[in-house]
Amino acid sequence: MPQYVLLLHSNGEAWKKLSPEEMQKKVEKYLAWRNKPFVVGGAGLVRDTGRVIRAKGDDVSVTEGPFSESAEVMGGFYTIEAADYDEAVKLSLDNPHIGLGTVEIRQVMVYNA
Amino acid sequence: MQESGSPVLLEHLFRRESGRIVAWLAGLLGSAHLQLAEDAAQEAMLRAVQTWPFQGIPPKPEAWLFRTAHNYAISSVRRSGVFNGKADALIAALESGAQPILDLDAEQSLRDDELRMVFMCCHPKLVPDAQVALSLKLVGGFSKEEIARIFFSEPATIAQRLVRAKRLIREQKLALTMPSNGQLEQRVNSVLKVIYLMFSGGYAAHAGEDLIRADVCLEALRLGRLVASSSMGAPRVDALVALMALQAARLPARTDAAGDLVLLEEQDRNLWDDELIAIGFSYFDRSIAGDEISEWHVQAAIASIYASAASSTEIDWVSILEHYDQLMEMTDSPVVALNRAVVVMKVHGAEAALAALTPLAGNNALQKYHLLPATQGHVLAALGRLEEARAAFSAALECDCTLPEKRFLQRRLATISM
Repeated sequence: MPQYVLLLHSNGEAWKKLSPEEMQKKVEKYLAWRNKPFVVGGAGLVRDTGRVIRAKGDDVSVTEGPFSESAEVMGGFYTIEAADYDEAVKLSLDNPHIGLGTVEIRQVMVYNA
Repeated sequence: MQESGSPVLLEHLFRRESGRIVAWLAGLLGSAHLQLAEDAAQEAMLRAVQTWPFQGIPPKPEAWLFRTAHNYAISSVRRSGVFNGKADALIAALESGAQPILDLDAEQSLRDDELRMVFMCCHPKLVPDAQVALSLKLVGGFSKEEIARIFFSEPATIAQRLVRAKRLIREQKLALTMPSNGQLEQRVNSVLKVIYLMFSGGYAAHAGEDLIRADVCLEALRLGRLVASSSMGAPRVDALVALMALQAARLPARTDAAGDLVLLEEQDRNLWDDELIAIGFSYFDRSIAGDEISEWHVQAAIASIYASAASSTEIDWVSILEHYDQLMEMTDSPVVALNRAVVVMKVHGAEAALAALTPLAGNNALQKYHLLPATQGHVLAALGRLEEARAAFSAALECDCTLPEKRFLQRRLATISM
């Protein structure tokens, strides 16, 4: 079964507006979603940090990342199993992150040696 | 997949811990650094929501939140350097209080921290509106949007009120200490008022989709029990807790599946919360052990009559009216007078109720209170004065009220217009 990665972007502002109670309810929804059978794994990423390395002539430039032109940072990711993109999207439409930020879905390439 | 052994999230964990963390850190840092304590608590919640969904819940979620907030506070003091060279002292204070974050001794000291916070929020130098808003924010963990909904106000207004209150705390150096014996009496009374305002704010929300905000009520009940369990406990504190528990017990029956209002007499008593009723009666028993009779006692007595009636036809209205008469002597609240008029109708009929309502018509405090014209409409309809009843219900609909109440009033209006 192909695997897909859900990249969860957000700028954190939406979270800051929630009261503790509302935050907790959101977390409960995430945890429930995380326990769905098609979810293989996932991890959070440390917020507000990151580095972007770019070639700059013969040199490289290192900037504080994530891509500074985008206010949204990646908060974490899930890996899920789905038959194809259509199914991956269908399975993800109720992901609680939607509304707090964007969810990018990318298929994990299968490498046949 | 969730790791085995990972505990399920506890109910209201974030709300409760947020208040406790703010109280704990403010206790260590002093009230001048309230904002830092709040920021640290919020940061702990934010980190939780951004890691738990992926990594799972840590084995001791409360301790995790406390530790995260504590680390944030320390690194924030180190980073900022704005505290006039007092950073070392603040860090020492933070570190001194860090040891047994969640063992049994700490539980007691955390309760004391929270109590001190409640008493500071109710400092007489703060106006009552600010006292309630601050208590809701700092102790109850409510957002300014939620507080705005409770007060039927704008979030920006609430934010301003909170900023002003916190500035006053800083400038006047209001300490996070329990009031001295001489001031204790007065302060306990304002704490009780704040708790009750919080409770009624949830019990009868002023606007919005929901008729009631059970979480606000339960938070008020928790605070009441906190005060009752402390050395500040007094019979009138027990009476207030009894009142809130008995009223909260009826919350599940006050609305139907569509969120519409269900009148007391039509409520399904099977939906009443037996545990809360038991708690209410045990506090009521404690409250009448002494010889003090406060207005909370009388109100709790009224609630206990409702709660102990086997059915709506067996409510002892005569006793309730006696209690209302007693309450009238103790307070000059127009809201009490209004409620009394409803009971007068039960005991002496609609004509007497109308007479009881008459002096309230010109009362300033009730001008925009929808329950006055709604009650007038109810009484007038019973007297067959339908034209006037319709006008009264229409006037009630002009006032601010919740959507379920609006629907209720519209239904009443439709019934008498047929």
